[in-house]
Amino acid sequence: MPKVAVIKFPGTNADLDVVWVLRNVSGLEARSIWYADFNVKGWDAVVIPGGFSYGDWLRAGAIAARSDVISELIKALDNGTPILGICNGFQILTEAGLLPGALLPNESCRFICRWVKVVFTNPRGPWLKLASDGLIVDMPIAHGEGRYYVESTSYQEKISKLPTIKYYGYNPNGSLYDIAGIGSEDGLVVGLMPHPERASEPELTPRKLSCGGRVIWLSIAKSLKEGW
Amino acid sequence: MTLSSDELSEIRSILGREPTDAELLMFEAQWSEHCSYKSSRHYLKLLPSEGVDVLIGPGRDAAAVRVFRDFAVVLKIESHNHPSAVDPYNGASTGVGGVVRDILTLGAKPIALLDLLFFGNPRDKHANWLIKGVVRGISDYGNRIGVPVVSGMVWFDESYNKYPLVNVACIGIVEISKIINGVPEDGDYIVIIGNTTGRDGILGSSFASKPLDLQEDSSYLPAIQVGNPLIEKLIIDFLVEAAELRILKHVKDLGGGGLATAIAELTSNYGLGAYILLERLHTREPDLRPEEMLVSESQERMLLVVSREDFRKVEELLSKYNLQYSVAGYLDRSGLIKVYYNGKLVACIPADKLARPQVRFRSVEIPEHYIKLHNNDNLVLPEVKNLNEVMLKLLSSPNIASKEWIYSQYDYEVGVRTVVKPGFGDAAVLRLIDVDGRVGIAVKGDGNPRYVFLNPFRGAANAVAECYRNLISVGSKPIAIVDELNAGNPEKPTHYWYFTEMVKGISWCASELKLPVVGGKVSFYNEDLSRGVMVKPVATIVGVGVIDDIAKSLTFELKREGNYVLVVGTTYPELGGSEYLHSCLGLELGEVPLPRPSTEVFNGEYISKLVELGYVEAVHDIDIGGLAVAIAEMCITGMNGARLDLRRLPSRGCSRVEELLFSETQARYLVEVKRDVVDSVLELATHYGVDVGILGEVGGDSLVLTWGNSKIINVSLDELREAYMNSLESLMSW
Amino acid sequence: MYVVEVVITNKRIARDPEGETIYKDLISKHGYDKVRGVISGKYLEIMVDSESPDDALNYVRDLCRKLRLYNPSVHDVRVRLNAQGCSD
Repeated sequence: MPKVAVIKFPGTNADLDVVWVLRNVSGLEARSIWYADFNVKGWDAVVIPGGFSYGDWLRAGAIAARSDVISELIKALDNGTPILGICNGFQILTEAGLLPGALLPNESCRFICRWVKVVFTNPRGPWLKLASDGLIVDMPIAHGEGRYYVESTSYQEKISKLPTIKYYGYNPNGSLYDIAGIGSEDGLVVGLMPHPERASEPELTPRKLSCGGRVIWLSIAKSLKEGW
Repeated sequence: MTLSSDELSEIRSILGREPTDAELLMFEAQWSEHCSYKSSRHYLKLLPSEGVDVLIGPGRDAAAVRVFRDFAVVLKIESHNHPSAVDPYNGASTGVGGVVRDILTLGAKPIALLDLLFFGNPRDKHANWLIKGVVRGISDYGNRIGVPVVSGMVWFDESYNKYPLVNVACIGIVEISKIINGVPEDGDYIVIIGNTTGRDGILGSSFASKPLDLQEDSSYLPAIQVGNPLIEKLIIDFLVEAAELRILKHVKDLGGGGLATAIAELTSNYGLGAYILLERLHTREPDLRPEEMLVSESQERMLLVVSREDFRKVEELLSKYNLQYSVAGYLDRSGLIKVYYNGKLVACIPADKLARPQVRFRSVEIPEHYIKLHNNDNLVLPEVKNLNEVMLKLLSSPNIASKEWIYSQYDYEVGVRTVVKPGFGDAAVLRLIDVDGRVGIAVKGDGNPRYVFLNPFRGAANAVAECYRNLISVGSKPIAIVDELNAGNPEKPTHYWYFTEMVKGISWCASELKLPVVGGKVSFYNEDLSRGVMVKPVATIVGVGVIDDIAKSLTFELKREGNYVLVVGTTYPELGGSEYLHSCLGLELGEVPLPRPSTEVFNGEYISKLVELGYVEAVHDIDIGGLAVAIAEMCITGMNGARLDLRRLPSRGCSRVEELLFSETQARYLVEVKRDVVDSVLELATHYGVDVGILGEVGGDSLVLTWGNSKIINVSLDELREAYMNSLESLMSW
Repeated sequence: MYVVEVVITNKRIARDPEGETIYKDLISKHGYDKVRGVISGKYLEIMVDSESPDDALNYVRDLCRKLRLYNPSVHDVRVRLNAQGCSD
């Protein structure tokens, strides 16, 4: 049975949410691992969940990105182990340079909690295996620093070809190019600001919306069992 | 110095000598109104607090009520009014911190927060600044600690322009066998964990126990506390794990009165004494004086009582989470609190005498304006020309309009428990994944300062009833409540009268509804000194209900064209104290709607049965704004119109259409009923002895209210939505 | 035109969780033991048309107070001229 590590930093608050979904929706073994105890050996995938690591002090994800966990993650990537960063996890991955760009304070200067629509473009890799290009789904966001920024030259050259998840119809925070999430070229690492773990079960999904997160959890389950 | 000369003499006779500096500060902190409840204790005994499922009632830092099989819900409510008036951001955020730590004292995991906020006019610059600061403070702190703010209420009234009321409640969940409920014993260690102790917040509770003079900026410098949500989150993680491992005997929060209060309460509750070595305490500044250490209210600190055998394991867990701690002393059997600093005895006080000052019996006097406000039998309401305009005006009034501007700043989804989210239900519904995926709880908070101001007995009673109805509406069975009484200066008889009446109102209604009041707090001295007035007093009630199957929980959005809309409960001409009178006619007077607890029980049980049988698709309780606002809210959230005939409304004594539309009669609901079961629904009503009326149908893209064939109100969904959804946002950006 | 710098920090008597965390969890943790402490704050640059530097400073001090750019109960504020940011 494939095993997924969900890393918990001081201030991480969505680790158990992700563990719940990995167990109940993906059907995988999953555990919350305290950052100081994290070792990549023995894990088939890693998730860095949402929250406020180190209180988001200095900049969201800035302090966690300087921890030893990052060198373990780099080893993981070398081994071909999939990594997913959700919200604060995405912020940590960009601060650590494992994904391009940066997440800045929202345009409205306010924390926003609401459901949004997103569209998948160029989906690739283990986390997006079951997503089709152009698939539009619903997921909730909850963040104060989610405005994606990347230098436009860098965008044109590389990023426009990477797997991305873009806000559809409504951009809640002023993200450049409507980017809500982005992946590495092979899709092994993916980061996104919306919370797929909160949009995976009908009980929690508002009546007229779709369980937009399911595609990610079902993808990783299939990928870990069958390859991608 | 808030100790009276009587109290000072009493201290001298307790000690048999003059108090030391440290002892004086300890008495000042513990005997402050905020910590000792000396003006309210005897009245609070009126509140019914027992019930077969109440495991821990008033007396501990939080209450515990059994919910399912082996689990209990833990609840607490707190106010942080004074600090929020001075520093809205930190006042509100530290309020959240404090109430969460109270939940942790029983080893419960905090899973929900509620905020009950009372602000001034958003168009007043100062009030606007307070609103933004408070909301941001709750948002930044609650979001960081990962506890969702799932429900709440906001009320706007000019009396709060310079002085807001900020009440916060927290709900936790714990396995009954893991509740931290050991009996502290002689020889147990007293361990202080968390933030370092500093000069911040010294005598904060004394500060909250006297009138706030906002002209004098500098006098509250020491009382300002700044929260550190990162340390709070680590404390939450530590305590939840420690509860699992059962390595803690007893836990207290260091809140109002700091270490002095915590030790006083701990020792006196168990007939013990304490031996404290202050130099051991981990501090922020190296030169803190012993008396400062005793009464500092630095945030994010807790007191653990640990047995010798378990101390190593506790230390290991604290190191894992990188939490600072100090073994500040030991418990003994002496009954005395002995405080040493570097070998010198700085305080020696009998525990029970420190913990419990004499009750202060205050006088009561009915205020003059109260008598005047009720002499308006001759009041003639002007004729209303355009009810459509009135409808839109009501929907955009800040007390009714959508609070999305506020709750979208709160992460209400963290924890993956939130089934019914803000804006969609009369209460929040949380599934208890901690128990299984099926069961859940509903939580809600209510309070109406206008009602309380006009009639505190009825106002407080109605708050209990409203909370009850809101819990029923989402499909839950109400099981317990906690209350916060916000009142003026207890030394002024006309202010104190409001407090006594509120307590009586809550006691009566809670007894009638069989809802135990398992805990509560009192906040006095809520006055706006700049204008020499009491801010409007209010009783806030936070309640919990249980749900056997969250799949059966309900939101109030109209779901399907063709369904029927049914009203449950009779409407009386009760416009007194209504939002209609205030928003549209600028009046705040009249007889507050009569509390109807026995009708509440019949109607409530009927609604619960309908929900259980799956006959209904939406339920909405009727409260401020009356029936018209209730149906409008159902239409707006569901984006479905409705057509209702007011002639079908069961009513008695109403002579004007405004009374039918906007009366705030209690014990009423609007229900969306599936067509194919309407006959059974009516039959059931007869069986339960409940008044119902089929008002009309869901459909179209307007809200149409008629009298027979003539249209009284006809407004499109878009216009309704515009007024309701955007009003608060535009008021705030004024 | 003058450039006036406004630095808003928490009063000493109030806590500074941001500064404390950056110091403990980032700087100290990674071995920079010559650092004794960190204070966090908010920094603003305000461009002002003014006759003299003193006028510019007073103007900004006034607006900081009146508009509650900082909360005098909790914050200290330093208002100073940016030496490089002056132009005619």
